[in-house]
Amino acid sequence: MSVTKETIAKILIEIIEDLTQDWGVDLDESISEKTQLVNDLDFASVDIIQLFVAIEQHYDKKIGFQDLLMKDGSYVSDLSIMQITDFVNNKL
Amino acid sequence: MTTRTLFIGMDGATFSILDDLTKGDDDHKPVMPFLASLYKNGTRSILRSTPNPLTPPAWVSLMTGRTPGNHGIYDFIRAEEHGDDVFFTLYDSRDCNAETIWSIASRQGKRVAALNFPFTAPPPKNLNGFMIPGFIPWRHLRLNTKPKDFYDQLKTELPDFNPKQLAWDFEQEKEAVNKLSDEDRENWVRYHLPREKQWFRIADYLLRAESPDLMAVMFDGVDKLQHQAWLFLDPTLQTEEVGEYHQRMRKLCLDYFRQLDGFIEKLVTEAGPDVQVFMASDHGFTTTFEVVRINAYLHERGYLHWKTMPETEAAKRREDSMFANLDWNKTTAYCRTPSSNGITIRVADKPGKTGIKPDEYDSFRDQLIRDLKDLRDPVSGERIITEVHKREDVFSGPAMKEAPDLLMVLRDFGFVSIKNKQPVVEAREEVAGTHHPDGVFFAFGPGIKQDAKIKPCNIEDVGATLLYSMGLDVPSDMEGLVPEAMFTKSHLAENPVRIGAVTHSNSKDAESESMAEDEKEKLMEQLKLLGYME
Repeated sequence: MSVTKETIAKILIEIIEDLTQDWGVDLDESISEKTQLVNDLDFASVDIIQLFVAIEQHYDKKIGFQDLLMKDGSYVSDLSIMQITDFVNNKL
Repeated sequence: MTTRTLFIGMDGATFSILDDLTKGDDDHKPVMPFLASLYKNGTRSILRSTPNPLTPPAWVSLMTGRTPGNHGIYDFIRAEEHGDDVFFTLYDSRDCNAETIWSIASRQGKRVAALNFPFTAPPPKNLNGFMIPGFIPWRHLRLNTKPKDFYDQLKTELPDFNPKQLAWDFEQEKEAVNKLSDEDRENWVRYHLPREKQWFRIADYLLRAESPDLMAVMFDGVDKLQHQAWLFLDPTLQTEEVGEYHQRMRKLCLDYFRQLDGFIEKLVTEAGPDVQVFMASDHGFTTTFEVVRINAYLHERGYLHWKTMPETEAAKRREDSMFANLDWNKTTAYCRTPSSNGITIRVADKPGKTGIKPDEYDSFRDQLIRDLKDLRDPVSGERIITEVHKREDVFSGPAMKEAPDLLMVLRDFGFVSIKNKQPVVEAREEVAGTHHPDGVFFAFGPGIKQDAKIKPCNIEDVGATLLYSMGLDVPSDMEGLVPEAMFTKSHLAENPVRIGAVTHSNSKDAESESMAEDEKEKLMEQLKLLGYME
């Protein structure tokens, strides 16, 4: 069964909703593909690492998010759910 | 269903402290009267830790019955050389090559509960029971708790359940590191009293509501207090002429152990008279009195070359970051992390790569060992590094290649510093607590000898013993052995130790991600606070 980007985005949103449900983050609108982890959800770097672990656990597969985190030798400052979706889609 | 086996972990618990706290006299009751009763009514032994007596390898050895060369967990962080820097990756449960007792028991139909054990996140997929991992921030407890609804169940069932209080508080630890005034140190000790209470309440709830076959909970405040407040705890450091602050701190520390004793008593009582109780620590504790700057020494001996940094704020931050900042074109041997107490030799695996040639490895390493043994106290002439182990002697197994090439033991058992600072060896302004290889192992209950002290056990033996206590076979590939001297003859006759099928492999289905810079800093701050850093 092929996995579509829409399915991946839906799963990622579910994982993130589950992860952040009691963090006390005020959101203007519900979590969507446009949502940014740091800016909108107050993610710290440890939270991003844990999210990636959760995604890998869900797919039971090593995804290797290092390429997503690193751009030109530096760590990216933020990631949107859409960016993660695209990355996961390419890796699955 | 009734609980058959209760395991209480006490991170860093050591006989030099517990013996003192379980003693009483005509004028004073012991601080830990219930533990004192377990001394009389049970069996105890020294528990030899892993070759580097450190939380990650030691607890994983306890949980798997395997040595680090087999399970592959050596440190909090795994370092990898990339280009002109060393990158650091957090270890998690998926990096462990060996099956844990939680999985072994689960797949044989036993229900287990494991609370606050490090490197149990993410929990095993086949877990039959309950798990809340230790050593992770509160925000991630929900996702790493099993079963999935257990976290919310606790919120409902335990009105005082507070995940922020329960988990490692990164910010509090960061603050404490930045200041560490007398007041902060006092607050640091105070912080662990309610924290341990949270873990106790969950364990108590599970015992009452679920009665798992194996109930296991770990209290890590023992280690944290001893790192920061050793001066107030070690009986050999107590005198009549101490100030008001010292007295207050000692009282506070004793309050912690008094509370812990109460938790142990309540859990043992709640578990009932038929339960076998085991308690163990991952390592012991002792006094560290000096700082040993091992990378500075390797520099003196020509193995290590510091990177020349510009006079900028960013460069200064990098220098202060605690990570070795080295010239990789010239460095042939260095220590990656203070907690490793290890030396990594850089071998050029391909032509053009930096490092020594592979065929020079043995002679290079022998010379390095001689140089390490040559580091001596300038006054007494005593060796500062009392033992230097080759990795094949202490970390043999399929995961040996991930271990440092050499493991050092310092004369005071301290952890090395990797800072670019002089002098190489310097007395501490104030002594502190550090890990000692001898931890503790207690057993109590039906079938266990009373008032017995048996010869030292190995930390891998605890995993085997817990499986045996549950009535399970000990897997034939488990290195740990059941210490039969702990049990009565009649119990052994009725319940002989059975060696069974090998463990299931723990496949690595994913890898942790490299840590971001600020996360490295946070972790290093924690390690510093715990005494692994200068």
